Amino acid sequence: MDRRKLLTRVFEPHPASPGATRYTNAVLRTQDNKEVRFYDDLIRGRQVVINFFYADCKGACPAVTQKLKRIYNQLRDRMGNDLFFYSISLKPRDDTPAAMKRYAQMNKGDEPGWLFLTGDPYDIETIRFRLFGMGHPGFDLDETTHAGLLRIINDNRNSWGMAQAYASDQNILKRISWQDPQKSYGEMVRIYRDLQVKINEDVKKYGYRRDAWL
Amino acid sequence: MPKNKAKDRQKVGKKTEGTISRRTVLKIGAAAGAAGVLAPSILSPKEALGFQAITEPVLCTTPTNSPPHHPFVQDFAAPFPAEDHPLMPAPTESRNEAAGEAPRADHQRWAQFTPAQFTHELEAKPGLHTFHPDYSPTYIWGFNGLYPGPQMLQRYGKSTIVRFRNSLPLTTTTFGRNEMTIHLHNGHHGSESDGFAGDFFSTGFYKDHLYPNIYAGLDSFGGIGDHNEKMGTFWYHDHRAEFTAPNNQMGLNGQFIVYDETDPGHEHPSVDSLQLPGYYGITDFPIILNDKKFCPTANGRTEMVNAVAGGDKWIVNGMIQPKLTVRRRKYRFRILNTGPTKVWTLSLVKPDGSVGTMTCIATDANFLEHPLRINDTDGAGNSNATTAPIVPGGLKVAVAERYDIVIDFTEFPAGSKLYLKEAAQQFVGLPSPDPLPAGLDIRNVLMQFSVVNREPWFPVDTPAIPATLCTYPSIPDPVDNFFEWQFIRDPAVTCPAGTHLDPPRMFRIRRPTLGDTLGCVFDADRPAHAILRGTSEEWLINNMVAGSAWAHPVHIHFEEFRTIERLVNGVVVGRLNDPNLPIAPLFSGRKDVNFVEAGQGARIRMRFRDYNGAYLIHCHNMAHEDAFMMVRWDICPDQASLDACNAILQVCQEVQQCVPD
Repeated sequence: MDRRKLLTRVFEPHPASPGATRYTNAVLRTQDNKEVRFYDDLIRGRQVVINFFYADCKGACPAVTQKLKRIYNQLRDRMGNDLFFYSISLKPRDDTPAAMKRYAQMNKGDEPGWLFLTGDPYDIETIRFRLFGMGHPGFDLDETTHAGLLRIINDNRNSWGMAQAYASDQNILKRISWQDPQKSYGEMVRIYRDLQVKINEDVKKYGYRRDAWL
Repeated sequence: MPKNKAKDRQKVGKKTEGTISRRTVLKIGAAAGAAGVLAPSILSPKEALGFQAITEPVLCTTPTNSPPHHPFVQDFAAPFPAEDHPLMPAPTESRNEAAGEAPRADHQRWAQFTPAQFTHELEAKPGLHTFHPDYSPTYIWGFNGLYPGPQMLQRYGKSTIVRFRNSLPLTTTTFGRNEMTIHLHNGHHGSESDGFAGDFFSTGFYKDHLYPNIYAGLDSFGGIGDHNEKMGTFWYHDHRAEFTAPNNQMGLNGQFIVYDETDPGHEHPSVDSLQLPGYYGITDFPIILNDKKFCPTANGRTEMVNAVAGGDKWIVNGMIQPKLTVRRRKYRFRILNTGPTKVWTLSLVKPDGSVGTMTCIATDANFLEHPLRINDTDGAGNSNATTAPIVPGGLKVAVAERYDIVIDFTEFPAGSKLYLKEAAQQFVGLPSPDPLPAGLDIRNVLMQFSVVNREPWFPVDTPAIPATLCTYPSIPDPVDNFFEWQFIRDPAVTCPAGTHLDPPRMFRIRRPTLGDTLGCVFDADRPAHAILRGTSEEWLINNMVAGSAWAHPVHIHFEEFRTIERLVNGVVVGRLNDPNLPIAPLFSGRKDVNFVEAGQGARIRMRFRDYNGAYLIHCHNMAHEDAFMMVRWDICPDQASLDACNAILQVCQEVQQCVPD
């Protein structure tokens, strides 16, 4: 893909995007103590991957952050251009921007396109429900049930996907790619041409299409 | 005849002017007898849609109810048969990149089954469909712009190539996703034609599927396979990973019938014919079930609400509470639940309010060896429930299940009205035009049967349903391999205070055979299980979420199975051919969807033959399959490729534990 073209590409929100009414425009703080509005500054027109964590979490969170770091490295070209990671604190009372900064640096996540966000507890709970709510109180009210999930949003396509943070790297990469911006027919022709070469190699080697290239 | 018939017709004519002429055409066809309906379509899909501009819908905030509707004003009709259509450019064994075909492996057994006797083109694109004359047109996605999709009428031994073309809009305001991969449920064909969930393709491309229309068992039986493997009622639908429920709710599905000499699509006494009611659209109708919720009519449209599941209108063949005029004879209905999530419990209500008899002749496209009467008097055999107490009289139809039933209207005098009842209630909002039988609520009514005497030109009744409909193929014994699949949302660990479960509870498929502690989620690139072609396996399908409301209609692509044991919480409650512990009769035949409610399990046996490639096992509750409850399994052509496949098996062995908050 032409990187220059990608960098200059402007992504507009989808005409049917629910916008701030769904995502809220709650004001959050980044690890650099910068104020951002959730929809207008973070989601509008963008492809984003969102997870919830908290800084002193011993189990899931560091593992998920490590995993996101590996994904980040694979997608480094796109990060901060048309793809963003947002890790939002589940314990905003404890997690100050400074604590988020320490956590980000400790996990080597303090990089362009990856924000560690904290804010008002009520706002964050609202956002969590809006993003991960299953309409199942027993599931939703337990905040930890959302710690192992990645919500993948593309506001430009108005589409939502999800990945499990515990799935393999290639599975998560694939699911992120499933929410990529709408590609032109010409781009798809090129992507499909590469894919066909792999399929043919596979059939030659294994007698059937085995996949597993990622 | 109902006295307000003429009025209804006028209403139908006025409201649907220029929009659903195909239905009008079908009505004319039905009135004119068999010839009219069996003739190929006269109108092109474009003409049938009346050249209306198909603009994207303006979605509403979900209302409390859909708009009300008048019951029994629409004439129930079968979807129009698909036209045989020459394909330009001609289909090729390898992908035709220049013409815009999506990537795929070469077609397997191409030389054996081409040139195909039939070719069809099904183009997925936006359309307008009027679900009820009280409603304005609804924006849908359908094959050739139609919902339900064109009915495919096929024949064993005559191969077909279907060109699925994606002409969905580049951008949409609906919940649909403009990428698709079309699965023929449950065809016996190569993986490249199977609509594997990860093989979806974009707008502007097409993919040719080769459906050889053969019986399973090509490798060992030769010819067109083992005729005992005959199936009848298939369906085709979108299988796009993560978006199967939305795309099916948009309308991307249709039914697919394959006839053979036992079930020839007519009622003449031909050689080997069972002489079941069999004139499509005359005495043999699909009942394609779906539930939807609608916005108030605005701007000349009645749009679906922006939510995939949880409808309050019961949709039958794209209609709401239609009426069917039936003659005093037998009719066949091919019930299909297209989901996305609802389980239907159907029964026939007679004019006096008592439960009528539906004779089940086929489960999931496979004839039962002996027809089975479903009513409230014929014992436990009348239900497919396995939990106590068995509720008599209901035919449970989980998502993707098909049940072919025969209803005999001979005993009812002309003028009688019978009703197909669903256990749950929809929103109607207006009273029934006809007095209903005692105890029947209009909200439970799916459709009305209005009995008239047979006119001289209408086909005479078929003979009694034969006592034996088929011979089952042998069940593999012994099997080459055993495998267990557990459908879980668990383990249900209660963590002590100050700790929480990590990773959290989610839908997964666990493989105890491989020592999984947790379970797998869908991974398009890695198989969860690999099978050597030509071998047989016994699978234990287990719904491990006991004591809950989680029910999973587990579907296995490609091959039919026989259930040899049903279990509840690990205890065998039914065993095939065991008079002391009989298996529920509706589970005793061949099936491809195994409905396991909370705590239930099934031990099944099947063979894996004739083709190689990636197939799927998944929960067919489309919300569950979109939420990862699906895994891939592969058929490998030889030992070397099996070893290579086993080397890349999906790894799903994390430990779930309580960790400090």
